Amino acid sequence: MSRIPTTELSRYLLTGRLSRRGCLNARLPRIAALRQANRTSPSRAFGTRVEPATAVPSDATAAPTTAPLRKQLKEQAKVLKASGKRKKNKADNQTVPGWELTVGIEIHAQLNTARKLFSPAATSFNDKPNSHVALFDVAMPGSQPLFQPETLIPAVRAALALNCAIQPVSRFDRKHYFHWDQPAGYQITQYYHPFARDGRVVLYARDGIAPEDGDRVEIGIRQVQMEQDTAKTTAQPGGVHWLDFNRVGLPLIEIITLPQIRHPATAAAFVRKVQMLLASVDACVLGMEAGGLRADVNVSVRRTGGADGRELGTRTEIKNLSSFKAVEDAIIAERDRQIAVLEAGGVIEGETRGWSLGSTETRRLRGKEGEVDYRYMPDPDLGPVVIGDDLVAHLASSMGVLPDAEIDGLIEKYGLSAKDALSLMTLDDGARIQYFYNVLDALEARLGLGDENGGAIAPDQRHALLAANWCLHELGKLTEFPSDLGMTPEGECHVPSVALAAILSHLHRKDITAKVAKELLWGIFRGEIPADSVTQTIDAKNLWFNELSEAEYAQLADKVVEGEDKVVGEFLRFKQGKARAYPQGKLMFLVGKMMRAGTEQRMDPASAERVLRARLEDVHIPRLEAR
Amino acid sequence: MSTRGRPRGLRLRHVCSSTGQQRRLLNHFISKVPEPTEPSPPSTSSRFTLAVKDNIATTTTTTPSHPTTCASPFLSTYHSPFEATIVTQLRARGARLVGKTNLDEFGMGSHSTHSAAGAVSQPRTPSSPPQPDQNQTRHNNINEDDEYNDLSLLSAGGSSGGSAVAVLTGQADVALGTDTGGSVRLPAAYCGVVGYKPSYGMLSRFGVVPYANSLDTVGLLARRAATLQELMIGGRGGKDGERFQGLWREGDLRDPTCLSAAARARCAKGREGYDGVAERKDGDVLRGLKFGLPLEYNIEELDPGIRDAWAEAARTLQDRFGARVVPVSLPSTRHALAAYYVIAPAEASSNLAKYDGIRYGTRDTEVASDAAAGGVLYAASRGKGFGDEVKRRILLGSYTLSSEAMDNYFIKAQRVRRLVRRDFNRVFALDNPLHEPETFDLADLDESIALEDKWGPEEVDFLLCPTAPTLAPKLDDVMNQNSVDAYMNDVFTVPASLAGLPAISIPMPAASGKATNGGDGVATAGLQLIGQYWDDARLLAVADAVSRTFDSTTLAR
Repeated sequence: MSRIPTTELSRYLLTGRLSRRGCLNARLPRIAALRQANRTSPSRAFGTRVEPATAVPSDATAAPTTAPLRKQLKEQAKVLKASGKRKKNKADNQTVPGWELTVGIEIHAQLNTARKLFSPAATSFNDKPNSHVALFDVAMPGSQPLFQPETLIPAVRAALALNCAIQPVSRFDRKHYFHWDQPAGYQITQYYHPFARDGRVVLYARDGIAPEDGDRVEIGIRQVQMEQDTAKTTAQPGGVHWLDFNRVGLPLIEIITLPQIRHPATAAAFVRKVQMLLASVDACVLGMEAGGLRADVNVSVRRTGGADGRELGTRTEIKNLSSFKAVEDAIIAERDRQIAVLEAGGVIEGETRGWSLGSTETRRLRGKEGEVDYRYMPDPDLGPVVIGDDLVAHLASSMGVLPDAEIDGLIEKYGLSAKDALSLMTLDDGARIQYFYNVLDALEARLGLGDENGGAIAPDQRHALLAANWCLHELGKLTEFPSDLGMTPEGECHVPSVALAAILSHLHRKDITAKVAKELLWGIFRGEIPADSVTQTIDAKNLWFNELSEAEYAQLADKVVEGEDKVVGEFLRFKQGKARAYPQGKLMFLVGKMMRAGTEQRMDPASAERVLRARLEDVHIPRLEAR
Repeated sequence: MSTRGRPRGLRLRHVCSSTGQQRRLLNHFISKVPEPTEPSPPSTSSRFTLAVKDNIATTTTTTPSHPTTCASPFLSTYHSPFEATIVTQLRARGARLVGKTNLDEFGMGSHSTHSAAGAVSQPRTPSSPPQPDQNQTRHNNINEDDEYNDLSLLSAGGSSGGSAVAVLTGQADVALGTDTGGSVRLPAAYCGVVGYKPSYGMLSRFGVVPYANSLDTVGLLARRAATLQELMIGGRGGKDGERFQGLWREGDLRDPTCLSAAARARCAKGREGYDGVAERKDGDVLRGLKFGLPLEYNIEELDPGIRDAWAEAARTLQDRFGARVVPVSLPSTRHALAAYYVIAPAEASSNLAKYDGIRYGTRDTEVASDAAAGGVLYAASRGKGFGDEVKRRILLGSYTLSSEAMDNYFIKAQRVRRLVRRDFNRVFALDNPLHEPETFDLADLDESIALEDKWGPEEVDFLLCPTAPTLAPKLDDVMNQNSVDAYMNDVFTVPASLAGLPAISIPMPAASGKATNGGDGVATAGLQLIGQYWDDARLLAVADAVSRTFDSTTLAR
């Protein structure tokens, strides 16, 4: 199944234009032929709270002290600071004994479309300010909204990726509040009749959820709605604000979860996961760090099993969090503040709070009395949006493989670690994995491992693991920032995939050493070696790995062992059962000596180790034993 | 709150009228296009003069260009960068723009008195009704620069009062208005001209500054229904006999509520009269038609003179022209006015949110206000920028949309609106093409309808009723009226607006002997005809025929 970029799909569906690139270059994730292994995740008891020893010092809870928690925390921080240690680790700060946290999240994501939601003005990012503005965008008197149907494509894809039920009829409401970034005095949104409802996102341990949540946790999505973005405000000196109306009216989706998140790290993992899901179906323009995704969190606390029944505590809303770290930090800070207030006998006010990056406390933005009544009203100019089953079916069938399936495939099929698989998936906004597939394709072609078996998995996938490691780690060493690699969405960068595949094919066959391979990679990255002449370069510079023969290795090994009877004695002790562990360190010491004694370019440490070990066992240990 | 007096705020700059003076006059223009200095060659581009209500966007090639003020201080200097579709359409048919007419601010009012440019009045006093002259020359021997005794002036009606007066004085052959709850029909009735509100969605609203989008329609005023019929349905233009396309055919992609070409064709399928204006005798048009007299419109407050004229008109149609006149019942009518004054202000409060002193109008910088400091940035600017009536409706609308009042007001009003539409669908012989035909089982009908059953569930072609319960009141009395009394004037016009139906007000001679405004002579009231959705073509033809019967009966006297 191929992933077709939304832009192309909408071009085809709405204007009947076909991509110039042709179907041969379509992005073809290889997981389609995934082996459906019966993966039974080891079931750990779900919901058991493992109390980290350092979460709260035992004396703080044991002692019948009346000091409020916040004060304790402050003092604790002071002590920690005095002792020169860092503040307590976030990973150890997921729970507070005696208290339960409840979090709901609203995520706003910019849809990947060519036009605004209600005007044919182009969507843009960082273009000349106020250069893409239609009459309606600035609420010119007498102008009217014109719903752009193609915005539905990424919206529906996003909702499908979030396992939502697409609603056949949805409607637009006006939400009224005054702000300079909103020319009409209201935002057109879907509140009463959203286009998607009842979704869910499954988070796994590898997504970075709190350990307390176990291996997997499911977060329900209440609804997904479409709405307009506001203008961009740039603060200028002297209390002046500049407004860029390019952003006003851009299509957003708002994803509203049920209050089912119990831990700060899980909240951050949820936002990260949503971003990955949206990127994987090409629904979203930019990631969170680039401002394409914003989150509001609703936080409340209650005592565990307390007399306050099962009712949730009063919640506060923290607006406009723009990074995953901010989501987690803000929730921790707000949770601690609420607990401190409650323990001091206070009451939590339902209010809106703010958070700035790097801060340690949320700050009050406006209280309940300052809350605006949004006076929702159906927009009288806009008819209902009717989404046909055929559109939903088509988008669902063309959506391709979702990240979780792809990650499972990477882990099972190629033996990647969960962490590496996740990194490969998320780096460069999803382009890195595409690069990996490109490299793998080229590599398999060179090794003659093509897919001729109709997708059957070759028993040995070491070449794929090699490719993955290089795409991730060796490539990563080239630049300080991944963005400097110049990775394109099609999965190409300054190191063309065919060039890397050429290097790896030689490395895989042990025709060159890893050291030579790394040098070649640098050469290509710097442009010193043309991408299509990897093999010629090896030829020209005679970089082929002309490995020593077994006899030469053995000769070298014998030479090194000479005069090292004391070391050989260690091996004898092991053999005789006097030492419990094999003296691997000693072995490696001897291998090192071998490498230094011989011609390194012609030696493989693994071969050296193998031969050395054999010589020790066959010749030198018996010799010593015989003495 | 007093509605008396001019809204303070800035005086609007007038693009000099012919005298350049601004004495207390009819005050029906906010800005005028200078007359061509030399008689321009009789080009095909100028077939008729057009006045445009100042809440419809216009651009102009001549300088100085005129603003689109909506009679609001907020927009006193607002020059629209684009022109309303309807203006462009009329220009293409030979309209020459003569000026922008005065109105109630943003169309909110029934007497054109709530204007930043001052109140409009009509050039008639109770004792001097104008002669309905078929061959009116332009200017109609009324000198707009004559000073009138303020106390004797009559209300022009609203909110399209300026447009009605421009037609009455002959300065415009056709005037554009907007009709949200009767804003074209009411001034037409008061001023003795023809005012037509088309089916909702027939004429593009693009470029019309919205008051209440779900009710707003562009309306047309002229001295004769035939003029409007020709524009809407198509006909011969000017002397050269060239035919031009009727406005009813033209959709507008820029207005999402404007019907698409396919929908227009579908709606017109079950309708007569869209093939062009046929030459038929009035008797032929009217013969066999069934007119319904809505019983609920015979209210206590109805001026006896108007009630008599209404009955007389019905009798004439039946006895002399072979039409049938039957009583019908529209039981939801009594709730319609209340529903209207919930829905319209709610939408208005939303539409007017954009006027905040940042982009439009002048920001009030005297009052230190800052949103970041917990204050409200716009309150002072909006408080100063809007007139009292607009503020009243914004408050009303904001309240009915607020979370605690929404269910009791806005949602209920929408239910009433649906009932009103059902009432109409039940009495009209034609189906409403926008809705699935409903079968009205007598058992399901409200008991109040069952009372009318001795006439059977009579189905009619048109409804015949007065446009307003009274003749044009004195401006002086209007100024002393409270706002709820003023809302009463809309009681007969609002139901058709809620249902989106076409309606037209034609002048009807009424004996004003018993009328409240004193005097003895014959005055003009408005007779309203309401048709089923998209039955505009027949409605205009019938309106023309009916108004001719008045000519003949007047002559017969």
